[in-house]
Amino acid sequence: MNIDLQTKNIVKTKLEQRGNEYKIKAPVTGSVVLNNAVVTSFGDGSLRFFGLNQEPFEVKAHKGVILTMSSNGQFVFTGGDDGKFLKISSDGQINEIYNFGSQWVDCVASIENFFACSSGKKAYLWVNDDSKPLIMDNSSTVGGLSFDLEGNKLAVSSYGGVTVWQRGDRRWKSSRFVWKGSHGKVTFSPDGKYLVSAMQENEVHGWRIRDKIDLAMAGYPSKIKSFTWAGSTPFLVTSGASEAICWPFDGKDGPLGRKPTCVANGGKQNATFVENLPQENAVFAGFQDGSVVLSEIDETKKSYLIRNATGSEVTAISISNDKSHILIGDAMGNILWSPLWAGDN
Amino acid sequence: MQTVEQVPVTVLTGFLGAGKTTLLNRILTEHHGRKYAVIVNEFGEQGIDNDLVVDADEEVFEMNNGCICCTVRGDLIRILGGLMKRADQLDAIIVETTGLADPAPVAQTFFVDQDVADRTKLDAIVTVADAVHLNSQLGEHHEAEEQIAFADVVLLNKVDLVDEKGLENVKKRIKKINPYAKIIKTTRCAAPLDEILGLNAFSLKRVLEVEPDFLESDHDHDHDDDVTSVSFVSETPLNMDKFQTWFGNLLQTHGQDILRSKGILNFAEKDERYVFQGVHMLMDASPMGPWPKNAERNSRVVFIGRNLENMGLQEGFEGCKS
Repeated sequence: MNIDLQTKNIVKTKLEQRGNEYKIKAPVTGSVVLNNAVVTSFGDGSLRFFGLNQEPFEVKAHKGVILTMSSNGQFVFTGGDDGKFLKISSDGQINEIYNFGSQWVDCVASIENFFACSSGKKAYLWVNDDSKPLIMDNSSTVGGLSFDLEGNKLAVSSYGGVTVWQRGDRRWKSSRFVWKGSHGKVTFSPDGKYLVSAMQENEVHGWRIRDKIDLAMAGYPSKIKSFTWAGSTPFLVTSGASEAICWPFDGKDGPLGRKPTCVANGGKQNATFVENLPQENAVFAGFQDGSVVLSEIDETKKSYLIRNATGSEVTAISISNDKSHILIGDAMGNILWSPLWAGDN
Repeated sequence: MQTVEQVPVTVLTGFLGAGKTTLLNRILTEHHGRKYAVIVNEFGEQGIDNDLVVDADEEVFEMNNGCICCTVRGDLIRILGGLMKRADQLDAIIVETTGLADPAPVAQTFFVDQDVADRTKLDAIVTVADAVHLNSQLGEHHEAEEQIAFADVVLLNKVDLVDEKGLENVKKRIKKINPYAKIIKTTRCAAPLDEILGLNAFSLKRVLEVEPDFLESDHDHDHDDDVTSVSFVSETPLNMDKFQTWFGNLLQTHGQDILRSKGILNFAEKDERYVFQGVHMLMDASPMGPWPKNAERNSRVVFIGRNLENMGLQEGFEGCKS
């Protein structure tokens, strides 16, 4: 299952052969799916839209770094170090939702009728485009924001735990999930039963929402910068180790007392980005050297090198809605936009 | 893998009114043409003349890693991470702390967070001190002692407002706390900038170059300072195993009280010099090439901290001799 990524004789992968490569003069800071396009954000404040039957186009959105991005399927929401929280349509129209001035917009999240952002210790939630946001105070800086799939809950992570805001008939009520340490990126499991956060320490922490039982997923050699839910089990797939670490969240207790499945080995380096292959029990793992490996979440199966090393860590992987195309981006601004399957174009 | 150049980070500490902002503005105006990011605290002095000023709120996080005194600046991890995503390369980053800040979490952030350590490096801690008020501040606020203890450079400002004797006294007091710090006497922070920036003071290589400056009159007890320093020299080579055991235990049990430690070690049967430096319980150590031909081979260690007299340092160090 090991793949020698140090090979000198670089043979272009199938994906590289049939795709287009772009070199942008700014780090790729993220990517999201919007209709059948993939939208990438950059460290120079620009966005680029990669569509199926068109040349990619650029939208100048922020003055500085785009720190965070989310898509609700209709719009892209971005937050920048210029203090702006923007809503951008699929044809690149920009709508400024809020300007925080000299304060950065660190996190954004969106779902069909709601969108949210955070700046400093406050989270701001907009309901149905109401012009005035609900403001949620935290005792420390917000590290991550996430809605559950139904849009009934908003998770706000910070130092010492995660606060879950639940929509009621008249107002949003909060419930605190406590765990010592600083919490960043946060997510709900697809069935809404679990809450998971990536920590400043080299671990991810989970809670079963019903009874707040703790699930400590530790033992990583580096910080977890990326996670994704994959397959029907589902697995929580995480970066931060030399393989994609996949924790099973099926059954009564999820990963409690169980071992993760480890696939997509990257050799002597750690994964920096992971993304699921929609509707499949498979995952893409991007590594520190820019290479990307595809593997089924099954330790007995072979994995495939689909992207050679670029010399810079993978910071974005997205699959278009129709699963026809993949986008891979890195911290030096290298982008591969390619048909995922042979024969498709 | 491509090696990314680490952006140097200078930390400016000092009490309110000592002249941090004056120094900051001097750096920014005299070094025009260079691209700086300045991270300031929300309670700081105003009026910084730079187009890239980031507000920070000095959030100190305890790391949940079994190390009891390991704290980091969470906001710094977040902001440095954001700055590293910029399209343009920064020449340097300057972090201004509030007057009452303990510099340890800032320094520890560079030891503990791998992303921060990969992309940036702590260049030096520069403490701006008010020559008129430092004496009383040292007695009243433990933060003032910590800021002196952690300093690589002490900019002793407003020296025009004290007489010769007063100046000698305050210098003595600084040296007693921190024999490693370089003291630059200034008025209006008018110090040569190359003595403040680009020092690489936290690189292990620099430990070799710096000689602690213990004043002869080390034994006056005019002030009962909490933070003091001690140093040991040994001409007899040390035993590596014994040293590692002693030093490891020492940091485990007294790391909270040892603010900074530095040393060059001469191990028996090793041709290379070993160098270490630490902040509380965290430590960097590495062999640093062979001993120079004409240099004396000896071991030198320095500790800056509180309650040093109760740690059995002398006996412990002696016990490491081979």
